[in-house]
Amino acid sequence: MKIEQNKNGNELTIALQGRLDTATAPELEEVIRSSLDGVTELVLDLKELDYISSAGLRVLLAAQKTMNKQGAMKVQNVNETVNEIFEVTGFTDILTII
Amino acid sequence: MSAAMSIKETKKTPNVGIIVQIAIFFLIGILTTGTITFIVERRLSNESVTAQAEQLAAAMADEVKQSVTEYPAYEWLLEYWYDNSDKLDIEYDATYVNGTKTEEKCRELSKKYPDIQLKYVDEGQIASMPEEDKKLYAEIAYSWLITHVNQIKRSYHIDYLFCVVTEPPYDSQVFLFSGADEGAVRGTTFSEIYPAGHKVSVAESQQKAMENAIHNSRHLADAGDYVDHYTYMCPLGEKAVMIGLTYNLSSLRADIDATTLRGTRYAMLNQLTLSLISIALILLFVIIPLKKVQKNIRLYRVTKDSANVIKNLEKVRPHNEIGELSEDVSELACEIDDHLEKIRSITAEKERIGAELTLATRIQAAMLPSIFPPFPEKTEFDLYASMDPAKEVGGDFYDFFLVDDDHLCMVIADVSGKGVPAALFMMASKIILANNAMMGKSPSQILTDTNAAICSNNREEMFVTVWLGILEISTGRLTAANAGHEYPAVKSPDGGFELLKDKHGFIIGGMAGAKYKEYELTLEPGSKLFLYTDGVPEATDADGQMFGAERMTDALNADSGASPEQILKNVRAAVDGFVRDAEQFDDLTMLCIEIKERR
Repeated sequence: MKIEQNKNGNELTIALQGRLDTATAPELEEVIRSSLDGVTELVLDLKELDYISSAGLRVLLAAQKTMNKQGAMKVQNVNETVNEIFEVTGFTDILTII
Repeated sequence: MSAAMSIKETKKTPNVGIIVQIAIFFLIGILTTGTITFIVERRLSNESVTAQAEQLAAAMADEVKQSVTEYPAYEWLLEYWYDNSDKLDIEYDATYVNGTKTEEKCRELSKKYPDIQLKYVDEGQIASMPEEDKKLYAEIAYSWLITHVNQIKRSYHIDYLFCVVTEPPYDSQVFLFSGADEGAVRGTTFSEIYPAGHKVSVAESQQKAMENAIHNSRHLADAGDYVDHYTYMCPLGEKAVMIGLTYNLSSLRADIDATTLRGTRYAMLNQLTLSLISIALILLFVIIPLKKVQKNIRLYRVTKDSANVIKNLEKVRPHNEIGELSEDVSELACEIDDHLEKIRSITAEKERIGAELTLATRIQAAMLPSIFPPFPEKTEFDLYASMDPAKEVGGDFYDFFLVDDDHLCMVIADVSGKGVPAALFMMASKIILANNAMMGKSPSQILTDTNAAICSNNREEMFVTVWLGILEISTGRLTAANAGHEYPAVKSPDGGFELLKDKHGFIIGGMAGAKYKEYELTLEPGSKLFLYTDGVPEATDADGQMFGAERMTDALNADSGASPEQILKNVRAAVDGFVRDAEQFDDLTMLCIEIKERR
């Protein structure tokens, strides 16, 4: 799992690469928890994300909830595998997927 | 066992004691010192003995010279002796007993010259003498001188004492007189005492020594075992008169050797004593304390009794590195004890957690209905379910129960995450779902109410995906709602299993106020419904490949007519065959129901 951050003013882009599962989700949780201060726009780039498990979904949900309070969160470049998971779990309804 | 092993280990290294190594070092030192001392001593004693000999020779030569020059007419005498050596009637070794001949001559001469004191005849008086009296006087003086020279020779321990006449290039010498020991043979054979007028040719070293003697520089001639020492006395016309001494070198050498050996022995003995004292000190101040430290380290390895070791080591506290080492070992023992204690408590804690987890596993398993067939009296359907958590406890669960006599509620759910947190959340979810279902609510209402209940106290943002369906047993009508869970697979009486892309709601626990829609379908007799968690399609092999929905439906359809229990076994076997050696990463939970033909 590789996490790349790119901050541009109040906009933070986090690009994820690899598998986001029980083993790697705490890592992303820590990154998001520590870097969301003052961020009004969070963009998650999932282009290189191979797989997301329920533990990963939980981190996404938490991020979405935080961003609901302080701005907006977008998810971009969602590939087919991940999109299927989003659809099955109903995440397509709560995430802003572009 | 480990203690016995460690002792064996320490014995493995072959050990030469430090004291032996130091002793070898000292021994080499002693031998080196001995050799160096021997060489130096030899040179020194050689020099000193030679110097002594030279001093002695100079003193003797001086004495001989005085005994010659005390005759006022000595120059005339020397010349006369030299010129007339073959004519002189010489009494060589006169003593008072047998020296009558010279005494007679004295009396004869004294009668002729009553006014003259024979000893102090000067050249003027001699000149006035007739030739035969001159000869007589020369013979008397010669005898007197010889007697004196013999005495000198005898009082010093030298081999030869003589007076010679020589001239450039000093390759020969003519003997004038020689001192001799009592009874020594006078003759012209080598090693005999040469008489006056005997001429010998000399070796190059003697030639050189005589030449040097003229210039008063070093005048020793080395000739094998003998050393010749020459002193210039006076001129004799064109020639030179020299006093020669010969001493034996072998006795000198014995002197030198004795001195050298004495010195060497003394130096070596000195060093040996110092070495022994050093070794004793090292033994006392290094080896013995070190041994004590070592003994205690070994003791600690066997007994792990740090208190005893520390007590023992407190006695080993010299104010040096060994004292520090001893202290360090004590501290190390303490630290190891602490670590052991920590490891012990961690292990105990781990065992406790393990035991609790085992109990939790049993509790969780017991919470799921596990007796099959569950409702033997219900012949309308056959149901089988299984759960294999990836860890001791899991977040997946299935559930089924009769809401009333005609309604069977089935649940399959997957909590986010794994392990104990997931299991705790799973227990709450299961109970809330079952409670809501038992109130006779519709599936969508059950999910909506459960979501509301969970969201009200969900600080950790946990969530659960749930598929919940209620089957009207008498008609086969199934009402179901899906909160973010996997698509169920349905088999029609005549066809194979297919995924039912049902309407999805959001996961439960994710968003307060979420609403869920339900849908209906009728399961004709011969139909089957297969419910599962994502552990099935997302089972991953060693290369990171996922099992996938397609392989899953293939496994279901491999023998779609089989009993629910067999179908679950088929899927499980297919998953196992796919992942092979890869570790089971996610919980694996499945449920299958078959609607039987109505009789």
